[in-house]
Amino acid sequence: MFNQIFTIANRIIYQLIRDRRTMVLLVAVPLVIASIVGVSIPEKQMLDYIAPAVLAVLILFFGFLLTGISFLRERSQGTLERLMASPVSKLDIVGGYLLGFLLFAVLQTMILFFYLIYVLNVSFHGELWQIIVFEIIIGILAVCLGIFISVFARNEFQMVQFIPLIILPQMFLCGLLWPVEQMPEYLQWIARFLPLTYGVDGIRALMLQGQGLLDIGKEIGVLAGYAAGLMILASLTLRRGASA
Amino acid sequence: MAKRQAATAAVEVDKASFSYKNIKAIDELTLQVPRGISFGLLGPNGAGKTTLIRMLVGLLKPKSGSIRILGQTPSRQTAHLIGYMPQLPSLYTELSVIQNVNFFARVYQMNDKRQRAKRVEEVIRLVDLWQRRQDSVMKLSGGMKQRVSLACAIVHQPPLLFLDEPTVGLDPELRFTFWEHFADLTHQGTTLIVSSHTMDDAAHCDRLIFMRGGGVIAQGTPNELRKATGKADANLEDAFLYYIHREDKSV
Ligand SMILES: Nc1ncnc2c1ncn2[C@@H]1O[C@H](COP(=O)(O)OP(=O)(O)OP(=O)(O)O)[C@@H](O)[C@H]1O
Ligand SMILES: [Mg+2]
Repeated sequence: MFNQIFTIANRIIYQLIRDRRTMVLLVAVPLVIASIVGVSIPEKQMLDYIAPAVLAVLILFFGFLLTGISFLRERSQGTLERLMASPVSKLDIVGGYLLGFLLFAVLQTMILFFYLIYVLNVSFHGELWQIIVFEIIIGILAVCLGIFISVFARNEFQMVQFIPLIILPQMFLCGLLWPVEQMPEYLQWIARFLPLTYGVDGIRALMLQGQGLLDIGKEIGVLAGYAAGLMILASLTLRRGASA
Repeated sequence: MAKRQAATAAVEVDKASFSYKNIKAIDELTLQVPRGISFGLLGPNGAGKTTLIRMLVGLLKPKSGSIRILGQTPSRQTAHLIGYMPQLPSLYTELSVIQNVNFFARVYQMNDKRQRAKRVEEVIRLVDLWQRRQDSVMKLSGGMKQRVSLACAIVHQPPLLFLDEPTVGLDPELRFTFWEHFADLTHQGTTLIVSSHTMDDAAHCDRLIFMRGGGVIAQGTPNELRKATGKADANLEDAFLYYIHREDKSV
């Protein structure tokens, strides 16, 4: 059972590592974005507010996009058809994708985290391991979202179109730039349904307010709930496109 | 017990049908394939060859009728008994030849590292790509991809192999080597189900069926099918046309 999950995770890691340019981009892009944020926000207090949210947003973004496209290709190049005719189960496949991509998510988080703290001097009152745990929860959600949404895309162009539909609204409404409490009531109401809102709230609590994982039970609960729901949807729809 | 096991056919299809939305791809098809032979599925584009193979490997469930492979309904429990080479080379193009073959070996639970490495090398040499083993699949020619795809399907030495147009895009020499290897496999007791349009492939099969419109229009050994035309010098092409005309008249 775990054997098969490792087999698939291992393959995903090799696929990414063999693609040098993707590897460079995975490290460079977050740093470029963090630098832009750092330079464009001269006010320290504002930077402290926005920087943690960038961590949450980037994990959702990269996790979604990378898994979405990988899975799309798994469908379109016919390897999913091969896997579905083999002894691996749908859960092995979802598990393998999670394990493979979360490894990159953790790496990305750590690089970005150290850059924010030591280069951009963002304030930090918390513990790194708690931030990694919380980012992994967001990462799980992102990977399952990517697998699920890939069912609706026929090619890479379509997959990229889902970014403005699924990721951008969350970025604007999650409180990345402006506190949710100061938005019009109906927007607040929408924001309450968006998982990234909880991701941003949670990570701010961990980084700025010196709270621990136990203090943000609600945020973790909501994110885990979304992740579980998406995982079920992803496994149920996984087969689609394998043979039809 | 052992005797009964041997008696069950490799593939038994009983009045199976399948439709994609409004297209009837397989229409009450009945078929028996004994073990240890190479069995050809011949027919024009759209005859239903791929659909039939997808049903046999368990990717599609018949809408009616029944399917058994090695005495069991196709499912995840029977998956390790079969090898499947899809019509298009379904490979991870950014991975190397050896990484692809090794991945499918692991997917089929060849867990012993030493044995797996040995077998992976063996099949890559068999398809004559050992020199290119470190190359990404995307850098290979069409025929070479086809060969990697075959290697991935046979690496775990399954007793039942489904090959969907395995010889498309191969040069005559390789086509010959492939068929030589297929003959070796059947001698060792493997059952091969091979789809094709070419009568050259058909001549290599122990038995074959002509398919059209999702059904079987004729079956037998290549010789039997040739003889049925009544012409002494008939080839399989003639035989196929003969059956199509005969069917058209009877409708
Ligand atoms: N995914 C699909 N969705 C809808 N219809 C399909 C699908 N796949 C096949 N069909 C239809 O089912 C019928 C049989 O197709 P199938 O692919 O089984 O033929 P085939 O004998 O393998 O042909 P070829 O020699 O071209 O590979 C065709 O009419 C085809 O249009
Ligand atoms: Mg076909």
